[in-house]
Amino acid sequence: MLQLARRVMFALSLAGLIAALFRLRGTGGVPPQSGGWREVTDIDLT
Amino acid sequence: MRVVLTGLGSTGSHIARQLTQSPVRELVLCDPEPRRLDQILGAVRAVAPAHQTVTGVKDLTPAILGAGVLVLAGPAGTHREAAAGALHAGSHVVSISDDANEVAELLALGSLARSADRALVVGAGFCPGLSCLLVSHAATRLDRVDVINVYRAGTGGPACAREHHRTLKHPGQEWLEGTWILRRGGSGRDLAWFPEPFGARDCYRGALPSPLLLQPQFPDAHRITARMAATRRDRFTSRLPMLRPPHTDGGPGAIRVELRGRVGQAVETVILGVMDHPSVAAGTVAALAALAALEGRAPVGAAGLAGWPTARRLLADLRQRGVRVAAFGGRLTDLG
Repeated sequence: MLQLARRVMFALSLAGLIAALFRLRGTGGVPPQSGGWREVTDIDLT
Repeated sequence: MRVVLTGLGSTGSHIARQLTQSPVRELVLCDPEPRRLDQILGAVRAVAPAHQTVTGVKDLTPAILGAGVLVLAGPAGTHREAAAGALHAGSHVVSISDDANEVAELLALGSLARSADRALVVGAGFCPGLSCLLVSHAATRLDRVDVINVYRAGTGGPACAREHHRTLKHPGQEWLEGTWILRRGGSGRDLAWFPEPFGARDCYRGALPSPLLLQPQFPDAHRITARMAATRRDRFTSRLPMLRPPHTDGGPGAIRVELRGRVGQAVETVILGVMDHPSVAAGTVAALAALAALEGRAPVGAAGLAGWPTARRLLADLRQRGVRVAAFGGRLTDLG
C-alpha cells in the first residue's frame, strides 16, 4: 500500500515537473481599456 | 486574355470562382489530380458567365504558352520553377506561396521579371498578401514608419495547415535595426488582439515570409516582425509529424497589422485587422492581383503587394467582394 502511494506521488510529481517544463512563460498583454474595432469604409479607401 | 490557374485546393478553388466574376475570357484550370480537376471544373463551369470559356488540363507547361497571367496556388515548393517558366514565356505570375524559403526564391527572380517586363506578384494570399495591403494602407497614415508587427491566425485548406505546422518549428527572419536576425520558431509569445469576434490569441515566431516582403518596401523601418497564432498543443507537437489529418478548411482566421511611426514629431500607432476565412480571402486577393496584372496595374519585377501603388484600390475592390477591413481606434498605450 505504501509502495502504491509512493508510486502515485512519484507519478504526480513527475507529471507536475513535466507540465512546469512545458509551461512556457510570456508576458501576455493587457486588454484594450477603451476604444474598439470599426469597419474601414469606402470613404477611408478613397 | 487567358488566365491559367494551377493548384485547385481550398484556396485555388476560391480563386477560380473569383475569376469567374471578371472580364477574363479564357480560364484554364490545372491540377495533377484528375478527380479534383473534374470536380472543380464542373463547379466553376456552372457559375462561369457566357463570355468565359473554362477548360481543364493536367500538364501546366503547354498551358502557359500565350497566357496573360499564371496564378500559382499549388503546394509550397512548386512555385519557383513554374514562375521562371512563365516569365520566360512572357506571362505575369501571381504566387500565393506562404513558405518563407520559396518567397525568398521568388523575390530572387526579380531581375528575370524585369528583363521580361512582367510582374511577379509574390505572396498574394491571406498572410502574406492581404496583410501586405493592410500594412501599405496603414503606412499612408504615417509620415515615417519605424515598426511593423504582423500577426496572423487560422489556416486555409490542408496544405495551409501543413505549412502552419512546418512554420512553427523552423526559425524565421526578423528585421531589426538594419540587419536580419534569425529567431527560433515557437518563441516570443505575444498576445495579439484581432478584430472581434476573433479576439485575443497567443502568437509566436516562426518561418514567416512577411518581413521578407515588407522590408524592401520599408527599408527605413527599425523593426519588422511577424507572428502566428498557435496553441500550446501546436507548439508541443510542432517537432512531430502531424498526428491527425488537417481540416478541410481551417477558418475562420484573422490578421492584425500594427505600425508605429511618426506624424510630424508625434509618435503614432496605426492598427488594422481583418477577420475572414483565410482560403476565401486569399482566393479573392489572388484573383484581384491577377486581374490587376492583366490590366497592367501591377509593378514590373518581383514584389509583394505592399509595394503596389494601387493598394488602396485593391482594398476597395476586396471590400466590394466581401473582405472587410477594420481599424482599431482607442487608447493604444495599453497594447504593449
